[in-house]
Amino acid sequence: MKKIQHWLLLLCLLPLAAAAQQRDTLPPTPAEEDFSEYENLGFADEAAKRYCSPKILDLSPTRFVSLGWDWQQPYQAEFSPLGAFAGDDSPAPAETADFQATQGLRLSANIPVISRNSFVWQMGANFWNINYNGKIQTENQNAAGLTNRLFTRGLRTAGINTTIFKPLGEKQFLLLQGAADLSGDYTFSEFQSLRYLRYSGALIWGKRPHDRLQWGVGFARTYRVGELNYLPVVLYNWTAPNRKWGTEILFPARAHVRRTFNARSLLLAGYELEGQSYRISNLSDAEQSLEIRRGELRGRLEYQRQLGGFIWMALQVGYRYNYSFNADYLPNDGQEFFRGFFGDQRYAMLNTLTNGLYVNISVNLVSP
Amino acid sequence: MKKHTLLTLLALFFATFLTAQSESDKLVGIWEPSNGKARVKIEKIADKYYGKIVWLREPIDPVTNVPKVDKNNPDESMRTVPLKGYRMLKDFVFKGSGEWADGTIYDPENGSTYSCVIKLKDDNTLDIRGYVGVKALGRTDVWKRLEAKK
Repeated sequence: MKKIQHWLLLLCLLPLAAAAQQRDTLPPTPAEEDFSEYENLGFADEAAKRYCSPKILDLSPTRFVSLGWDWQQPYQAEFSPLGAFAGDDSPAPAETADFQATQGLRLSANIPVISRNSFVWQMGANFWNINYNGKIQTENQNAAGLTNRLFTRGLRTAGINTTIFKPLGEKQFLLLQGAADLSGDYTFSEFQSLRYLRYSGALIWGKRPHDRLQWGVGFARTYRVGELNYLPVVLYNWTAPNRKWGTEILFPARAHVRRTFNARSLLLAGYELEGQSYRISNLSDAEQSLEIRRGELRGRLEYQRQLGGFIWMALQVGYRYNYSFNADYLPNDGQEFFRGFFGDQRYAMLNTLTNGLYVNISVNLVSP
Repeated sequence: MKKHTLLTLLALFFATFLTAQSESDKLVGIWEPSNGKARVKIEKIADKYYGKIVWLREPIDPVTNVPKVDKNNPDESMRTVPLKGYRMLKDFVFKGSGEWADGTIYDPENGSTYSCVIKLKDDNTLDIRGYVGVKALGRTDVWKRLEAKK
């Protein structure tokens, strides 16, 4: 009998034991909490390390996905005949045109592959399309027909890119970027060979002394001026102590001053260099490939605003300065040559575009 | 024989119950995000897990010279709430295998709330992944457990 009573008591105590555990986890009656006990703490794992973050306070949001439209004000163009011109030659134009509409879709996506304190790796893809519309004003017998080609086919760039951020402890980091772009007048039914991929990249070593400053120096291989160049780069991202002003600089590719209105809107003022080398298929043959070295300097104001949740919009209004629309003959096996600022290789065409205003609007899914 | 069987069953029941409890409660404690700017106390309240800020590296706002408040909260009525004591992790439920999910993480730097999943990498390390919609569109931060200095 006593044994049965023992077991009954035990069975009765079981739910009470469980209930006691549950009551113990409920918060006590609210009182002024003493936070001083959380001052003098250290890592439970003595081998634990801190790493610097890839961002600083108040940087404009990183975009996972971007969908945009780019439009340029009408302008005039003059294209030389095909030939072999020194950079300071002034050949008479073989064709002139009024470009009434230069516009197109811009898509990009950047997805984190690995996103950890000690290593961040991101892959991305982009597609930019430029449609040209207008009227040929003059065209002589030496004209290459570039204007007509642009009006009928336009230009486009499709590319992939990768970014790796590797912290070297709490204050230093390495940033590596690489991209491969396929640019030309191709269509998806008449695609361009991948041997005409153009590669660019940058390597930066930097420091992040505190939450409002990140700077670095490095080297880049770039097509931002339309043709291949090797340039030093400077990174300088800074936020003022009052959190209202800042800079976002990756010189010479782009540089902006930032005015932060609040956590959901900001204004950037500055410039960006854009450029690619576009293959024109009907002006290329088995021996050589004609590529337009398109480079633009865009001074602008850009207003960014949260629309809701993680959807932001960006509106750019600015002035497009044509840095280059000249063309080169390249070997048809996809090889490139380096002219830089001091090379004397001849141009296949010397072309000029007048400058004008542009507008770019985009909707973006941004990162946490 | 019957007595032994009953004892064994009871012991097994208790052991399983307590093991599950201790596994899920491994999340409880004081943790530091990778940027070292704050310390978060994770506690269990009625079968869910919550984390509140209990220490800030820079507790005073350099602009206003008063303790930092949640000035970026999209809800204006919350913008005077002190950050110390602010519950930034909410509603996490233990899913087994060292994972807590169905919760959210709030970032007072920008006033945004993200879906979040927490994984226990080891007894002293958490992977906190905040994401937008799908887990692929997110960022993982590694939090380290803190204890009193020896």
